[in-house]
Amino acid sequence: MTRKSPESLLPLTPAVLHILLALADGERHGYAIAQEVEAMSEGQVRMGPGTLYGSILRMTSSELVEEVVTRRREDGDERRRYYRLTPFGRRVLVREVARLDAVVALARRKSLLQAPA
Amino acid sequence: MSDHPRPTRRSRLLAYCYPRELREQYADDIARFIDDARLDPRYRDDPFGPLRVTARLSADALSSFFSSLRQGSPRPVRVAAAHPSLGQRIRSISMVALMKDVRFAFRGFIRRPAFTAVALGTLMLGIGANTAIFTLVNALLLRPLPYEHPEQLVTIWGTSDAQKQLLLSLPDIVDLRERNRTFSDIGVVRTMSVNLTGGDRPDRVIGSFVTASTLRLLGAKMAAGRRFTDDETALGAGQQVAVLSYAAWMARFGGRPDAVGKTMILNGRPHVVIGVTAADFLDPFEAELWLPITSAPSRQWYDRSNASVWAIGRLKPGLTPEAGQQDLVSLEAQLQREHPQSGARPSVSVMNLREQLVGNSRFMLLVLFGAVLAVLLIVCVNLANLQLIRASTRAREISLRAALGANRAHLAIQMIVESLMLSLIGGVLGVVLGAWAVKALVGLLPIANATPVHVDAWVLAFTFAIAVVTGLMFGAPAALFGSRINLQDALRTRTESATARRFNARNALVAAELSLCIVLLAVAGLLTRSLVRLQHANTGFDPDNVLTAELRLPSAKYDDSTKVELFMTAALERLRELPGVASVALIDAIPLSGNFGMMSYVAEGHAQPAGAEPVTQITNASDGYFRTMRIPQLAGRDFDSHDRVGSERVAIVNQAFASKEWPGESAIGKSVRLIGPPDVNVRVVGVVGNVKQQTLSEHDSPQLYLDKMQASGIFASVAMRTLGDPDARGKALREAIWSVDPDQPVWKVRSMSALVRRDLAPAKLSVNLIGAFAALAIVLAVIGVYGVMSFSVAQRTREVGIRMALGARGSQAVLMVLRSGLEVVVVAVAVGVAGALAAGRYLESRLYNVGASDPVTMVTVPLILALVAMLASWLPARRAARVDPAITLREE
Repeated sequence: MTRKSPESLLPLTPAVLHILLALADGERHGYAIAQEVEAMSEGQVRMGPGTLYGSILRMTSSELVEEVVTRRREDGDERRRYYRLTPFGRRVLVREVARLDAVVALARRKSLLQAPA
Repeated sequence: MSDHPRPTRRSRLLAYCYPRELREQYADDIARFIDDARLDPRYRDDPFGPLRVTARLSADALSSFFSSLRQGSPRPVRVAAAHPSLGQRIRSISMVALMKDVRFAFRGFIRRPAFTAVALGTLMLGIGANTAIFTLVNALLLRPLPYEHPEQLVTIWGTSDAQKQLLLSLPDIVDLRERNRTFSDIGVVRTMSVNLTGGDRPDRVIGSFVTASTLRLLGAKMAAGRRFTDDETALGAGQQVAVLSYAAWMARFGGRPDAVGKTMILNGRPHVVIGVTAADFLDPFEAELWLPITSAPSRQWYDRSNASVWAIGRLKPGLTPEAGQQDLVSLEAQLQREHPQSGARPSVSVMNLREQLVGNSRFMLLVLFGAVLAVLLIVCVNLANLQLIRASTRAREISLRAALGANRAHLAIQMIVESLMLSLIGGVLGVVLGAWAVKALVGLLPIANATPVHVDAWVLAFTFAIAVVTGLMFGAPAALFGSRINLQDALRTRTESATARRFNARNALVAAELSLCIVLLAVAGLLTRSLVRLQHANTGFDPDNVLTAELRLPSAKYDDSTKVELFMTAALERLRELPGVASVALIDAIPLSGNFGMMSYVAEGHAQPAGAEPVTQITNASDGYFRTMRIPQLAGRDFDSHDRVGSERVAIVNQAFASKEWPGESAIGKSVRLIGPPDVNVRVVGVVGNVKQQTLSEHDSPQLYLDKMQASGIFASVAMRTLGDPDARGKALREAIWSVDPDQPVWKVRSMSALVRRDLAPAKLSVNLIGAFAALAIVLAVIGVYGVMSFSVAQRTREVGIRMALGARGSQAVLMVLRSGLEVVVVAVAVGVAGALAAGRYLESRLYNVGASDPVTMVTVPLILALVAMLASWLPARRAARVDPAITLREE
């Protein structure tokens, strides 16, 4: 697959965005991603296995995330599959967050939102 | 976080709910995810955790399924920015929208607690009743019996026009087993009480006298030891051995492994225990232990002229019971030609084992099943009506949403989602109620060993299915009509216009539920009247203050008639001496105890060709029996002390016998030949009243009593008229018998009135159940009528207001409303009575002295229902009279 420009993938669906965010600080396995997403969003976003792996399937083929080459780990089950951001995935995430930030700034200028305390 | 090396099997199965392209890559990961979610402490420690996890997973699987439908194959992330395609738009709404609908519905439920409570309550009752009855239907009629290839198992009985299940002779069955071409094997069965002695006190167990083939063809697995060998049960060469059931092993030997090899004293003879069947092997005839047929309590069993056993057979694969029956009937005819001296044989009937075990309950179960389905239909109709009414009162809200762009399909889906959620929650509550009700019911029903009743996966699947169907059914009318709202009309006027058709969908639904109600009520009425007639049926005896008990003398100990006679005479004397006893008699078959005997006979002056002789019930009774039971002596005398062994054989016949054989003449002094072998000639010395012997619903038929002292058999029952509560005399009765023979077990000590109650119990149970369902149906119907009439009054306020402004009086307004209620009732009565008459014809064979179209029922029921329905419409109708025309018109 030829590499696209990060912009061609924007805007991201909420699921994809959250998964990227969950992987931003390190590799995780499936259920850990779902837990992290739920924790980050304070319970607002909950993912079932179908949504999660459906998104991961598409994100892998878009080269946003990749599977960590399996190795024996001290703290977990080596048969679980772990995922991490690709450098491209990280770029896409940064662009998306920047885009959202611009949108939020715009909304604030229109006094739609209170500035964070 | 769990660290299962492998995901659990259950989760791997659940992963199959996900679309293929996901499973190909992630099947194990999805399964592991499900495990993790289930073990997550947040859910594990929450009582509703499993429910929440299940809800989340189902929603998730559903949404993956939808998105796989849309996508077909995995695609890169690429979410369109500016111009989403139609498909993408649908994708974005489907699951999100569905979840939104679910949340919307939930908020609605909380906003309308009354509606939600009524809906859930009625759904719970309707679905619960169905779950309970279906659990019985499933256990008794649907689930295969717990044997290998149960469809091949049949019972083999003799049969005649008068009697469905007659015993066959043992040598005949042995010949049938050897000569038939349709059975893979046939085994002899005779279940009867066996005296167990040698313990603290004499006891009785239910034993089954069998051949080795019986346990073999049933596929009995063993927990210890072995089954019988053919040699051990072969006629003329049998061994005194026994096989215990698992339950008997536990009860008698505490499950100790050394039980095999121990000796038990059964019917006075030692038997070596050679094996114990596995815990999951259940004898179809409830036996607790098995004995070789060669341990039979009487030598007569080996005589070809004596019918003492039945049989169980395994048909060759693919053959029907009919084919087996044809085969055996022709063989039996062949045996008749070969052994004419052993008397006329009954025909042979081959019956599927399940039919044998549950045949009697099938009819009532199906009636009950019909009744609960009718109740559920009424629940559906009621809720459909409530939803319709809500849809019309929400017309403005719905129109507003439609005007703002909600499409009609989505509005309809939302109503369906709401109904489905209600019915699914109602279904969960229903399963809980049903499981509880089943437990209560099982105690009241005679359930065979081989058909244990419990809620299984099929029951849950059935409940789920009816919950979904119920939800769709009561949601559909509102979804169809409710979403079809003319935007302009609805937004313009305050309520539906006065020109609404009078007989609309709502009225049709109410008429439907009222007519179902009439059918149910009529069935309940017919069964109740039948039960009342049965309760007042003339039993022919006075059951109050009579205590009965059963015993059987072991033939090993009482091996000649003198010993038997001595025992009987001594027992009678001891019993007569008991304080508080008015009179005592011995008899071999107490009425309604399940015991009775039949014999062919030839009455004086009525020669009959051999094989065509009439049959009579035959009972051996001691003198004083008629006095004890208060059976009226109509002519002649009772047995007395002059009737002894050696003196002329005497008999007493009942009125039905006398008037059938000697109409218009005196029966006294006539002679009757009882067909043996050997034939016995008896002289009639008395005539007594007719007695219900087998069941209260039987018709009067010929009965003949022989003097027990002239033909002392080893079977005896005690009938004892007491001066107070008969149940208080049980202990004294046992001790009196034990004072004659301390090793003699006495069982089934029960009062005559308990036997009468037992005979009435099945009819009573079905009346109670159907009655409860009918009562529920009426309550639901009243709610339905009241709701619809209130609504129609509210809707017609404007029309009423205008009329009153033009001079109509309040009473006229009430009448106007009532008239539309009356139309509904008339339609309902016409349809309902037709249905009730059809249901009555179906029930006819089970009714006692009540016609299928019993006029009392068929007039009273519709009348009551019409009155109730009119009352339910009158209450809201009164409101019409209070309409203030000024206010109504101003509001326009």
